[in-house]
Amino acid sequence: MAIFAVEHLSLAYPGRRGQPPAQILSDISVDVERGGALILVGPSGSGKSSLLRCLNRLEEPTAGVVRFDGRPITGLDPRELRRRAALVQQTPVLFEGTVRENLLVHAPGVTLNASESRLRETLGEVGLDDALLDRDAAMLSGGEKQRVTIARALLRDPQALLLDEPTSALDPPNATLVVETICRLRDSRGLSIVAVTHAPELVRRLGGALLYLVKGHVQPVDERLQDFLAGMHP
Amino acid sequence: MTILDLSWWQLGLALLLVVVVAVISLRQRLGLERDLLVGTVRTIVQLYLVGLILAAVFSAARWYWVLLILVVMAAVATHAAVSRLAKPIPGVYWIAAAALTISTAATLAYVIGVVVRPTPWWEPQYVIPIAGMILGNSMTSAALAGDRLQADLFTRRDEIEARLALGFSGREAVQPLVRAALRAAMIPTVNGMMTVGVVQLPGMMTGQILAGASPLTAIRYQIVAVFMLAVATALGSLLFVRLAVGRYLTPAHQLRRYLL
Repeated sequence: MAIFAVEHLSLAYPGRRGQPPAQILSDISVDVERGGALILVGPSGSGKSSLLRCLNRLEEPTAGVVRFDGRPITGLDPRELRRRAALVQQTPVLFEGTVRENLLVHAPGVTLNASESRLRETLGEVGLDDALLDRDAAMLSGGEKQRVTIARALLRDPQALLLDEPTSALDPPNATLVVETICRLRDSRGLSIVAVTHAPELVRRLGGALLYLVKGHVQPVDERLQDFLAGMHP
Repeated sequence: MTILDLSWWQLGLALLLVVVVAVISLRQRLGLERDLLVGTVRTIVQLYLVGLILAAVFSAARWYWVLLILVVMAAVATHAAVSRLAKPIPGVYWIAAAALTISTAATLAYVIGVVVRPTPWWEPQYVIPIAGMILGNSMTSAALAGDRLQADLFTRRDEIEARLALGFSGREAVQPLVRAALRAAMIPTVNGMMTVGVVQLPGMMTGQILAGASPLTAIRYQIVAVFMLAVATALGSLLFVRLAVGRYLTPAHQLRRYLL
């Protein structure tokens, strides 16, 4: 069974002051296999991030159904869904405090089972030294920050990672480290991955299916896109 | 002590002060002459009309006239608080009206009914100016808090969604922004309490002294006023921010990005 099943999904934002609604996504259907990967590509403004955000219900589709693990996500508690389908944002968001405090951040009234050894282990999984635990999060490099956000997601034992251009704010060496981390996690944890990316390296190494979006519509993966992706190969 | 009445020609002499402002604006090319002229005319006309209305209400001495004045004041304050927002919030008029009305009514009820206790309780000489001060402070604090909240919701939207993605509820995810907005609204009032009377004499106290009251009576009223304005600020901004932030969230713990 697919981990995500998207059926005829559309998204529109209400128009302002008599303006017509802004159509963001139109009639999207796609599946993500358990343990598989789906890469969302397309020009900016094509709705890739919006589609990603529909998967963990940060956006509410105006039509269509998203199923997670066979169940429509509207029947799940959004907070539970978001712990199981963890989002990694384009610009890593770390809160004030140490790396440890950032890893342990949780909603009031929710318990997070994270022993000291688990924290160290998880940092190791994303390729970070556990000496960073007591470092001020603001002092980390961009690549370290992004990997801390991935570790923070992993501590919640997600089944899927939703990646919103996870490397576009990073310099090439850091981007490579993050790509390697993501690919390694996919194999070691059997994570399903949905990624918005312009990084051919991530596209190539994740493999998986491509969904090509233009102005909110699915387009066939044509020669132009193939050329674009091929041309970026080293 | 007697009160010196001001004649029309004395007001005319005061008008010379505005001429000084106009000269500065012209010389420094500030381009404010037109606004200054409109502002001067409005000051004279608005205050004169208010004076006439208040004189009529005072002499009529009926509770329903007092109530009507309060309703008009609340409506104008609501409009003023809302019009300062950079972007519209759906239903913001009702939110502002509720926040200002509730915070003002609660504060006014305590100050008039428990502290000052005029007879009759709706005595316009007390109720109208006190309500005006409370409403003015609630309005300013609601506008300050709303402005800060709106700016923060936009600049910190990724941070909010990071919390949502970590399983926070909508209210929990925006809590730091709510706190920042309330602090921004309340800091001027709290700071004002530190220097009240030292840097400048507050308006109400000045007015009472000019009107012949003993400074010792005037300061007692002013102390009540400072405390009452502090609570009006806190209540007005709290209610406004709590209600307004709800417009940006959905029951499914989503941030309505298209409103930002």
